Parts: sequence; structure tokens; C-alpha cells
Amino acid sequence: MISYLLRRILQLLPVLLIASVLVWGMIYAVPGNPVAVMVGENASAEQVAAETARLGLDRPVAVQYAAWLGSALRGDLGASIHSREPVLKLIGERLPATLQLAALATLLALALGIPVALAGAVAPNSWLDRLLSGWSALALGVPTFWLGILLILLFAVELRWLPSASGYVAFWDAPLQTLRNTALPALTLAVYVSGIFARFLRASLITELNADYVRTARAKGLPERTVVMRHALRNALLPFITIVGIMTASFIGGAVVTESVFTYPGIGRLLIQAISSRDYPLIQGCILVILGIYVAINVVVDLVYAYVDPRIEYS
Amino acid sequence: MKVDPVLSVRGLQVSFAGAEGPVPAVRGVDLDVWPDEVLGIVGESGSGKSVTALAIAGLLAGNAQVRGSVFVDGQDVVRASPDELRRLRAERIGFIFQDPTTTLNPLMTVGRQVTEGQVAAGRLARGEAGARAAALLREVDIADPVGRAGQYPHQFSGGMRQRAVIAMAMAGRPRLIIADEPTTALDVTVQAQILSVLARRQAETGAAVILITHDLGVVAEVAHRVAVMYGGRVVETGPVRDIFRNPRHPYTAALLNSIPRLDRADSRLDPIPGQPPMPAELPSGCAFEPRCALGRGQLVCRASDPPLEPQGPAQRAACHFAGEAAAPVRAAARAAEPRPEPTAEPLLIVDDLRVHYPIRAGVLRRTVGHVRAVDGVSLSVRPGETVSLVGESGCGKTTTGRAVMGLVKTAGGRILFDGQALGGLGPAGWRKARRHMQYIFQDPYSSLNPVKPVGEVVAEPLRIHGVYEALGGARYVAGLFERVGLSPRVMERYPREFSGGQKQRIGIARALALQPRLLILDEPVAALDVSIQAQIVNLLQDLQQDLGLAYLFIAHDLSVVRHISDRVAVMYLGRIVEEGPKDAIYERPMHPYTQSLLSAVPTPDPDARRHRIVLEGEIPNPASPPTGCTFHPRCFRADERCAREAPAFVPVPGEATRAACHYPGPLAGAPAGEATSLEAAS
Repeated sequence: MISYLLRRILQLLPVLLIASVLVWGMIYAVPGNPVAVMVGENASAEQVAAETARLGLDRPVAVQYAAWLGSALRGDLGASIHSREPVLKLIGERLPATLQLAALATLLALALGIPVALAGAVAPNSWLDRLLSGWSALALGVPTFWLGILLILLFAVELRWLPSASGYVAFWDAPLQTLRNTALPALTLAVYVSGIFARFLRASLITELNADYVRTARAKGLPERTVVMRHALRNALLPFITIVGIMTASFIGGAVVTESVFTYPGIGRLLIQAISSRDYPLIQGCILVILGIYVAINVVVDLVYAYVDPRIEYS
Repeated sequence: MKVDPVLSVRGLQVSFAGAEGPVPAVRGVDLDVWPDEVLGIVGESGSGKSVTALAIAGLLAGNAQVRGSVFVDGQDVVRASPDELRRLRAERIGFIFQDPTTTLNPLMTVGRQVTEGQVAAGRLARGEAGARAAALLREVDIADPVGRAGQYPHQFSGGMRQRAVIAMAMAGRPRLIIADEPTTALDVTVQAQILSVLARRQAETGAAVILITHDLGVVAEVAHRVAVMYGGRVVETGPVRDIFRNPRHPYTAALLNSIPRLDRADSRLDPIPGQPPMPAELPSGCAFEPRCALGRGQLVCRASDPPLEPQGPAQRAACHFAGEAAAPVRAAARAAEPRPEPTAEPLLIVDDLRVHYPIRAGVLRRTVGHVRAVDGVSLSVRPGETVSLVGESGCGKTTTGRAVMGLVKTAGGRILFDGQALGGLGPAGWRKARRHMQYIFQDPYSSLNPVKPVGEVVAEPLRIHGVYEALGGARYVAGLFERVGLSPRVMERYPREFSGGQKQRIGIARALALQPRLLILDEPVAALDVSIQAQIVNLLQDLQQDLGLAYLFIAHDLSVVRHISDRVAVMYLGRIVEEGPKDAIYERPMHPYTQSLLSAVPTPDPDARRHRIVLEGEIPNPASPPTGCTFHPRCFRADERCAREAPAFVPVPGEATRAACHYPGPLAGAPAGEATSLEAAS
């Protein structure tokens, strides 16, 4: 197991390295530069040149990358061009909020998706199954920004139960406040993903319910509830774990729209701001952190597999 | 018999909801099974045998409509509530399914699976479940039952899994055991073990057993009575000896005639024409009429489905001409035609072939050892000759065939095709070489591309090699279809519209397209129904005769192999342990493994139930094979020399075969071969 973990971490290094090169290259391939954004439209050529030299942007691209990589290896991702604050500090402020949102959204999506999948799979093509499949299609089809606005109108404007804009509060300091703040963005994300969860798990469950071992379980006289929950569901959840991992990871950097609608201080919005101001060190930092979390989630998924599936041994 | 039957089925009808109205799967079945009795149900796919079994246990899906009556131990199954059904299954019926790799839940320990039904039914306290599971596993001869009960199914071998399934079925001390093809997925030596465990547990508990199978040998071996099913009905039933000696239904007689047999060497099989009917397209009248030698075209057979009527004291048959059907089994068994001795130079020479798969471990995935899947195999095939590789799963026979085709990397040895070494060929050279040798796969269902019309499937190799136009285009492809007994009119259709036997014909047509000289046939009939196997075997023999093809025939079915081969090589753990002319291998085997293998094959003759060598254990893990002779831990002749040094593969003095054994020699007593060679000669 430890050897397996070591191997996974070793595999991670080249991935991050290649990603950093790609991101660096992509930034330079896109027109526009940060200095123009910073000094404004009316700045003189001298001002621009001075600022460019101050930031080291007049050096060759390869040299800039090498310098960045050198300090990155020492744990320093540089400072934001825009705010001049250390990149790690900026990300550190946003990361807990993002992780909190991702966790809550995943839990909500599971809570919405699993019962829908179960109810549909035990009686495929029944009226209930059709109704729930329709619901899943709706959940997948509704644009997140529109759903977000709808939820704000309902819960924040009409009912006044929840805040419309969500600042970040650490969960351990104020759990209830956290839940209130995160509820609406998490629900917005969860509805869409619950549609994916429900569809995938339903198909997986139907396959398992037709498997030979389920017939065996029925043949030994087990109640149907036990057959479904103890035998079919546990096996159906195996491929499902991967999907849950992928969707959770997608909340880390990919919840930009929802974060914007709720002005939620997540990493996705930080990244978008960084891109629009051509803040190279911040873009690099955000992407590396998002990628790192992505890979870490995949490792966790693999470890979960090793735990729940006795056939898998990591050595 | 005075006692009441454990199972009594009357007028059972099962139909499934279909797109065009209900599809009848079972059409009026009557069955009785008494305590201490084994009823064999024989039938091909679509005969309704498995549906009948599921109906007896009330296990059919919700879209099944069941009529008639089923009483198990006095309990009405058809009208039982879900709760009553669950109680019935937990207490009175034990079910054994076909494939032990899929019938167990991979995520639950075997011990828990064995007893959970009893715990759920409240017949076993949770605290006692562990001990009871171990006891049940001990009763089916699983070593270390306490340790094994805590393991998961993937840690069990195939044979042990099926033992565990038997233990599970026995957990509630059922009065009725239903075994649906319990040994079909197992190797023949393991099948012998499982059948003997099943028979012993049945005798110990006095349960009634229904054994469903397509294997007439298994039925002849273990059943007391037989019911033959066809098209959703029982067409003949009676004591096992009467059924095999004096079949009264033309289907039973034809089935017995169509199977190749281990104990006889005929030149040609008598296949049943056509294919078993699909439940959705049953003919009116007798379902067998379109394929029947006796009733085909007869008005009465087309007009009315004959009832099951007594024929003699204990036998019943459903045939308008039951009196005339009594053709003695293979009265006109044709003696083997003397085949011309092939004298030509070998077309294929395999010399000391080795295929090794690396075992990797550690952080850096270093290679720490090798699985020797093929470990020094030598053989040759001449034009017009059939050489068979036989052996149980994992022996390396398929890997050998794939290595010859260049589909797996070899670790050593030489392969010569028509004098040319194939070893150093690049991709282009291999593509050219493969024109002359083609591979036919076991599974006709997955080896045809489902989205291409079959005409395209057959033409594809021609296009790949750029010879489609040169060989005559569509007309040439049409000729290939006729060659394998299919109408060229079906070329536009898609694979899903064909039956298994037809798909295998298409696979053969595809292999023939490039006019190869060697066919590698990997279990070409194993997935087919009994009555269809004979058709394909005959087709292969005709093609060989007409085209002078060389066959490398890979199979586990020793009866088919005896029928089709000129020479036979027996493999065990990556090596050939015995090789020789067919008759020598079958009638005077020298290697103890060949002898055990042949002895384990059930013969479709109830009078030939014989003492057999039941091999202990199963094939060892090829990653860590035993020392010395790899067969020694299971061998009845082994001594300490066998554990120490590996025997050389050399000719056995005074015999026609070569063997890798320190103590080769004919079986003492009356080996299977000697008794049957007399029969074949008479």
C-alpha cells in the first residue's frame, strides 16, 4: 500500500511539470499582456517599458519559466502581478471555501441522486422510473446560472431564509453560518450533478440486479430489500465511486459560474480574475493547485476502491 | 413408489411479454421427482429447461406469466405469496447455478454468503453462522474450511467456488436441489470432482435432485430418470437406461446420434438439420417437425402437437410415430475411413516455443519473475492434417495458437511456416504471412463486428490485403457463403440476425476468404448447441478434404477432438505431456495425466458408468509451478523422483506416442480405451 502511494506521488511530478509548461506556453500564445492592463490605456511607452522591466517580463520566455520553476521548487509560487501579494497566500484564502463548497455539493448530490437511482432501478420503466428519469434529465438540462438566480429569487428574495451572496466562514468557527452561506451555491451545483449521479447509478444498478449473484441471493430466500441493498447496491457503487471522484474534482476549479452568481470566494473565480488581468504567476499557481487536488482526489478514489473491493490489492 | 414426490409439476406454462404478444417459453410441462432421485433434464438453448427450473423456485422475473401447478413438498409455488416463496427457498429448495465465477457476490466473504439465507430466514443465529459455514464447507471437501469461510470468492478456484455454491444450496437442508448446468463452466477433471461431491451430498441428505444439462454424458452418468425437452415441452421421459438404449422420440434418437463420442471413432457425425426453434417462432403442430427425419412433411405432424403418451412400462414420448422412432442408437455407426497418410513436408513447425508473461512488483514495477504460459512446445502440422491441442483451462493451448499467429510476443523458440521462419518478421511481414493462416474464434457472438453486414465482414480481409477485386469481388464473397452452407442472399444482413451456428459459419467464411493453407481453430464449437456442433464439425471436415487445409485444433472437449483429429497433443501447465496419433492417445494413453483426463469424461452410455480416476486438486498456479514434473502433486504414479527432476519429452519405447513422464505406461486394469476399442472394432 505504501509502495503504491509512493508510486502515485512519483507519477504526479511529471504531470505537474508538463502542465506548468503547457499553461506557461498557452498564456503566451494568447494576445494581451498584464502591463497594459495595469498601467491603463493612457500610459506612455516609457511607463510600459519600465513596468515591464520591473516585472521581469522583458526577459526571454524560457528564462522567465526557469526562474518561476526554480522558486516553485522551493515552495514559492511568486507574487501576483496585480495585487503584489504572494500567490500562495491568495490561493490559501480561497481554498478552504472551495473545498467546503465541493464537499457540501457532493454530499447534496449524493443525497438527491442515490434515492432517485434506487427507486428507478428496482422497477425499471415503471411510471415512477419514468418520472424520476424525467427529473434527472431536467436537472441535467437546466443551466446552472439560471437555476442559481431562481434559487436566490425564491430563498433569498421571496422567503428570506438564506443569504443571496455568500461570504466564506470557516466551518469549524460557525457551522450553522457556514451551512447557510454555502447552501444555495452547493444546491445549485448539486442539482446538476445529481442528475449525472442518478443516471449513472441507475444503469449500474440495473446491470447488477440482473447479475447471477443477485439471482443466487434471491434463490437462497433473502428478502428483496436485502438483495438490493446488501448485494446489488454495494456492487453498483463500485464504478460509481469513480464518477463521484471526478465530479467532486470538477467542483474545485470548474464551479466558476456558480461562484460568480453567488459572489462566492472560491478558487474558480480567482482563476478567472487572474486570467482576465493576465496575472501569470497567479494563473500558474491556481492551475497547479487545482491539478494537484484533482490528482489527490484520484488517489483517494483508488484508496477507497482498495478498501471496499477485496479483489484489489495495491502492492 | 409409495412416497409422495418432493416436486410435482402439472401443466406448467410460462410465457414472457414480447413486442408482438406473449412468447411461450414453456408449453405444458409435467414432472415428478421423488426423494433420493436424480432427474436429468436435457435440452438445447430455447428448450425451456432453465425457465422451468426458475418457475419451480418461483424465481422468474415479473414479466413472466405462469400457469399450471407446481407443488414443492406440498407447498403451492404458483399461488404462493412473496413471503411464502422466500420461506420455501430458504427451507426447502437449494439452487446451484452454472457459472461459479458470477454466482457469488465478489464483495462478500464466502462463509457469509453460504449462511446468510438461513440467518435471514431466522433458522440460524448470527453468532453460530461462522461455525455453520465452516461445517458446510467441510462437507463439500474444502480444505481449511474455517480459514476459507473468511475469504472472498476471487481467492477460490473455479472448482472450489462451485463447491461453495453446493454448500450454500445445502445450507437449509433442502428437500429439492435444482442444479442448472452445474459443471458446464468447469474443466473435465473438476467436473468429475463436483459431480461426485454433489452425488455424495444428495445421498447423505436423501434430497431429490433436478440436474439440468445439455451434456448427455453427464446425464448418463448421474441421472436415474431423464426428461428430454424441446420447444418448451417434455418430448420424452423415462428411466435413463431406456432413454439411451431405446429412445422413442426421433429428437432423442437424433441427439444421441449427433454427438461425437469418446468411446467410438466414426468418420462422420449425423447432425440434426436446421436449428432449435426460437420460442417466438414455434411452428404449428409438432415443434420438431421441420427437423425430423420421421415426420417432416407429414400432415399429422404439421397439424397437431402430439401429447406425451406412455410407450412401454415407464417411458413416455410425445410423437405421432413413437413406435417407429426406436432406431437403435447408431446402428449404422460407420467405421473410420482410412485417411490417406499425409506424407508431405510439415506446413507448420513449432519448435521449443516459449511465451512468458512478466510478473512485476515494487515501486518501480521491476520484473520479479515470469509466468511460463507456454514453456517449450514443439509440434508440426502437415497439409491436410488436423493436429489437436487439448488440455484444461490455463494449460497454454490458446496462447500457443496465438503465438503461432504472431498475436503474442514469444520469449523463445522458432515458428516455421512453409519453411519460412516467422520469428523475425516485422508488421508488414506478419501481415503477409497471416494471409496463409487464419484464426477462428470460440465465441461466434463477439467475434463478428455487430455494425457491419456479414457480407462486409467476410470481405474485410480481402480489402485489407488489397485483393478484393483481384479475387472476383462480390461474386467471390457469395461463393464463400455457399461454401459454408449459407445462402448469399443473407450477405446484406447484420450479425445479430443469425443463430450461433450460422455466425460460426460466417466466421469460417471470413477465415477462408484469403485462401489460407492453415486454420487455427480455437474451440470453434464449444459455444454451440449439441445438435449444431455436429453440423460445424462436418463442415470443417468437408472443407479440409476439399481444400487440403491444415488444422491446428484447440479444444477441451475430448470427444470432439477424437472425432476430428489425426494427431493429438495433450498440454499441462505450458508443456506438451503426451503426443501421438489419435488412436494411440485415446486407446493406449501412456501419461497419467492423459489417462486421468480421458477417465474423467462422462460417456453417454448409462451401462458404461465406470470407476474413474478422480484427480485431486486443480491445476496449480502457473506463476509458481511445482518442482520437477509439474503434474506430480496430482499424479497417482508420482514418487520423490518426480518431485525432483522434470521428465524429458521422449518416445515411449514400443508405443506410438511420445510422453514427458518418468513412469509412462498403460493403465493397469481395464482402461477406458481398451474396452471401447473392442466396441469400435465390432
